[in-house]
Amino acid sequence: MTLSLRENLHLVSDPTNLDSSVEEVFHMMLGAACRPTELAMPEEPETITAVVGFGGLLSGACVFRSGASAALAIAGKLTGMEFSEIDDTVKDAIGEVCNMLAGAWKGRTPDLSANCGLSIPAVITGSNYHIHVQAPEFRLHHVYEFESTVFEVTIICDGLQ
Amino acid sequence: MSEMRVLIVDDSSVMRKIVERSLRQAGLEPMVVLEAGSGVEGLQVLSGQSVHLILSDINMPSMDGLEFLRQLRSQNLADGVPVVMITTESSEEHVKQAILAGAQGYIRKPFTAEQVKERVLPLLTAVEGR
Repeated sequence: MTLSLRENLHLVSDPTNLDSSVEEVFHMMLGAACRPTELAMPEEPETITAVVGFGGLLSGACVFRSGASAALAIAGKLTGMEFSEIDDTVKDAIGEVCNMLAGAWKGRTPDLSANCGLSIPAVITGSNYHIHVQAPEFRLHHVYEFESTVFEVTIICDGLQ
Repeated sequence: MSEMRVLIVDDSSVMRKIVERSLRQAGLEPMVVLEAGSGVEGLQVLSGQSVHLILSDINMPSMDGLEFLRQLRSQNLADGVPVVMITTESSEEHVKQAILAGAQGYIRKPFTAEQVKERVLPLLTAVEGR
C-alpha cells in the first residue's frame, strides 16, 4: 500500500505540533519553559539561522531564526556556559536545538516519523536576511519567548507525497 | 563502581558535553570520557583504546552511526561492549535498524538525564558483572 501524507495534510500541518515540539525540547534539554508569543522578533545587528532539511515523503526544512540575544541565552542554558558572542559553540548549540525541533516535530506524525529523514544542521550567521521558498505546500511560522528574548521557528514544506 | 571508560560519538561537541553531563548526573563516577566527532573518528579511537560503553548519534557526516556500528562489529572492535544510539530519529524502523546493526539501547533526543540513566545503568551493571 502506498503511503500518502497528502491525505493527512491537516495532521501534518497542525500548528499545535510545532508548539508542543518547541515546549518539549526546551523543557527536556534546557529545563525551561518556552511559550508562543505575539511579540515580533526585534531587529538586531546579528542574526543566526539554523536549517535542518527534511527528505522523503515530505521535503522541506525546519528553520530556527533569532537575534544574538536569544541565541546566547539558549546556548547558555543548554550548555551551562556563558557566552558573550556568537562563537562556534553557540552555532553548534543552535544547530542541535534546530535538529531536535525538527525530529520532535516529525515524530508527532507516525507516517512522517518513519518515512522522512533529517539532514545535518546548517547554521548561517550575519545581518538580517530571510529564507524564501517559492509556493510551498504549507508553511508554519511561530514566534516564541524565552527568558525575555524572542526567536522564531518555521516549518516549510515544499513537497509532499 | 570501578572507573568507567565511555566513548561518545557525535558530530556536535555541544551534544557530546550534554551526554557526558547526563552520564555524570546518572552517577557514573569515576568516569573517563573519550570523544569522537564522527564514525570514522570513533573507529580510530577504538583501534587504540578499550571502553566499557559507547553512545553514538546516527545522523553524522562522513560515516553515520549505523555504519559506524556495522564497522565496529565487522572489525571486531569493542567486542561485547554495549552501544546505545542517541538520536533525533525515533521511528520503530530506525530503532529496528539500530538493533539489527548491533545496538543494545536507543535514546531519543530530546532526552532527560533520568532517561539516560534508565537505559545505560543496566548495561553497565551487566558489563561489571562479567
